[in-house]
Amino acid sequence: MADGAQEALDDRVRLRVFERLLDDGRAPSVIEIAADLRITPQVAADSYRRLAERRRLVLRPGTMDILMAHPLSAVPTPFTVETHGRSYFGNCIWDALAIIGMLGDTGRVITSCGDGCGEAMTVTIAGGEPVDPQGIIHFQVPRAHWWDDIVFT
Amino acid sequence: MLLFRSEEHVAQWCAERTLPRGALLTVAQGWRLARDWYADRLDPNYRGKTPTEMKATLTRIGLTGPYWQA
Repeated sequence: MADGAQEALDDRVRLRVFERLLDDGRAPSVIEIAADLRITPQVAADSYRRLAERRRLVLRPGTMDILMAHPLSAVPTPFTVETHGRSYFGNCIWDALAIIGMLGDTGRVITSCGDGCGEAMTVTIAGGEPVDPQGIIHFQVPRAHWWDDIVFT
Repeated sequence: MLLFRSEEHVAQWCAERTLPRGALLTVAQGWRLARDWYADRLDPNYRGKTPTEMKATLTRIGLTGPYWQA
C-alpha cells in the first residue's frame, strides 16, 4: 500500500475508533473496525499498530486492545466526564478536561483528590470557562518523559 | 496528571511515593491547556501539533521552563 493510501486508511481507522468510543464508551476491537470499514482484520490490526507507533492510540501491552485514544480512556478511571448528556472516562485530569473541550465548552469532571484522602472534587466548565475552580493540578512527570510510561504519566 | 485539594495534598502524594514534585497548574491553566492541546483531535485529517505549535501552546498558557521542554 502506498504511503498516502496507508495514511488515509489510518485516518479512517482513528476517526472510527473515536466515533465508537464517543458513541458507547467502548473501544472497538480489530474485528469490529474491520467490519465497519470493510477491510480485513489483518489490515485493521496493522493500522492499529501504526497508530500506536505514532502515539495516536495506546494498546494494552501484548494485545490489540485499545487502552487509550487520548484524551479518551477505554477503561474506567477515577476521572468521569459528563458533557452533553453523556459520560466518558478521561485518562487523567488533563484528558478529562480535554474531553469537554474537544466536544464543546460545557461539562464537568467528577474525581477525587489525587492523594487518596477521599475528598470528592468536581471541576465544572460552563461557557468555556471553569466555574469557581477549586484545587490544583499536578503534573509529576516532566514533559520529555511523558511517553516513557504513559499509563503512569 | 492528578487534581489535588491543595499543595499540601500534592506534597503528601509525592512523599508517599518518594517522587519529586513536578509542575503545578491552576485549574484555569489546566483547562486552557486541555482545550488548546486537543482542539483538533476530532479533525478527520488530524496530524498532531508540530514542535513549534506545541511550544507556542505551552508558552501562551505560561508553561515554560525545564519541566516543559520536549
